[in-house]
Amino acid sequence: MRRRPPALPATLPAALAAGLLAAASLAGCVSPAWDGRDYGLKAAASAESVASAVAVARRAVEGGDRLSTPYLKVLLTEAVTSVRSVNGQFAGVQPPDEGSDAVGEELLVLTGRAEDELAGLLLQVRRQGVEDRAGAVRELAALHEELRGFAEEHR
Amino acid sequence: MKKALAVTLGILTAFGGFVDIGDLVANALVGSRFGMSLAWVVVVGVVGICVFAEMAGRIAAVSGRPVFDLVRERLGPRTGLVNLGASLMVNVLTLAAEIGGAALALELATGVDYLLWVPAVALTAWLVMWRVKFEHMERLFGLMGLALVVFAVALWRLEPDWGGLLEQAARPSVPADEGAPTYFYYAIALLGGAMTPYEVFFFSSGGVEEHWTRKDLAVSRANVFVGFPLGGFLSLAIAACAATVFLPDAAHVDSLGQMVLPVALGAGQIGLALVIFGVFAATFGATLETALSSAYSLSQYFGWQWGKYVRPVQAARFHAALLVSMVVATALILTTLDPIKVTEYSLVFSAAALPLTYLPVLMVANDADYMGGHVNGRFSNLLGSVYMVLLVVVSAAAVPLMLATKAGQ
Repeated sequence: MRRRPPALPATLPAALAAGLLAAASLAGCVSPAWDGRDYGLKAAASAESVASAVAVARRAVEGGDRLSTPYLKVLLTEAVTSVRSVNGQFAGVQPPDEGSDAVGEELLVLTGRAEDELAGLLLQVRRQGVEDRAGAVRELAALHEELRGFAEEHR
Repeated sequence: MKKALAVTLGILTAFGGFVDIGDLVANALVGSRFGMSLAWVVVVGVVGICVFAEMAGRIAAVSGRPVFDLVRERLGPRTGLVNLGASLMVNVLTLAAEIGGAALALELATGVDYLLWVPAVALTAWLVMWRVKFEHMERLFGLMGLALVVFAVALWRLEPDWGGLLEQAARPSVPADEGAPTYFYYAIALLGGAMTPYEVFFFSSGGVEEHWTRKDLAVSRANVFVGFPLGGFLSLAIAACAATVFLPDAAHVDSLGQMVLPVALGAGQIGLALVIFGVFAATFGATLETALSSAYSLSQYFGWQWGKYVRPVQAARFHAALLVSMVVATALILTTLDPIKVTEYSLVFSAAALPLTYLPVLMVANDADYMGGHVNGRFSNLLGSVYMVLLVVVSAAAVPLMLATKAGQ
């Protein structure tokens, strides 16, 4: 299993790796909104992301005793972090016209409610567990519907 | 009786060891977004890994040399170096993702942030690779990975719409709210998950570590042709669980915690404990395999003494390469890069590098000088060639699709 190594060119794999990493970085970039339509599409995508986090949290809360407390805590922490991140990213996109202002405000009210609801649930889980499970599930389901509706409207 | 037990144990190990963080992430993610409409890719991937792992196992058993050892000899140093560079990059990315996956499993069990677990996982993995015998290491984590069968149990208990799932699988189509580029991007990620390059390097090097000879060909084939398809069944169960729980709500899975939620909902706290245990075993086992694969490929390319079947002092450069791989991957994941995102990228880059991994296997398995009477038959060659064409197409499409879809967003 021993062989003497010859002189080797070292540039090709390095160039390949650099190219692939650059491609990966570009793929993750967030672009600005070019016009009202583009802004609406970004708002719809943000609403979908928050709706997704809310839907998972609803399923988890609904699961009740089938989920251990540390696990539920991790799930809700992830949901809060995800919604906060989406809110932060969307708030960073400047509305290109006056019509877009209203779209942005409507979305941020919805996602703000989602963030508050999820953060509240996380706090309850950290203390003594979810107080009103059925109520929380209803509120999360309603939020999910509204967010989905918003996304459909602006897609 | 003893041989039957060895074969069964090998199959169970291959079954339990099949799923890693890539399979978990790809299948759960795809199930939640596309239902079972990409199940055909899992079938294509499992047949592909069976075809090439069988060849790699046969090469190891007949020639007594693993794949990478023959790559440079057969393809020359320049081509071999491209192969080595691409394989190492994909391996280290995958290794970082596996370490992150094991740490995330510990976070799910304890509630303690995964970043605090990362150094402990890396150190334990390195100690296991340093101290535990190859055979024990492979069997232990492969068998522990069998706990992931709980995905199938949970699916049954979730009482899904079986007809709907079968319909999606039998008549694949792009869902109305997804674009065709995104559909094919995830198809590529799924294929990358099923045919991860490190599996072939590990399988063939493992054959040499275990001193396979022509007599072991039957055992090797049983592992591949029974164990891997069973692993593929597990992949489908993961996707079906995600499709059942998340697809109706259009919820996209993007964390390990979410991926195991269907099991908790279907099988309760015992199921949850089992799946977390299984995820830890699968990702920890894959951490060992990817780290060893990096050191195997590097040592075999440069002609260094390698392997766990010799004392560390006799394979110092191999063990140094192992340690460096672990340190680099651990540092990468400690930068707070999301392990699931790292996995997603590693899957696509794996897919892009697939021809580099599999072409040499096909060439060597087809070379009578190395293989003698065990050279590829017509059917193996036909299947291998069809897969090579597919892999070249996949490789060419992987990065452009990643850019066009903003990594599947």
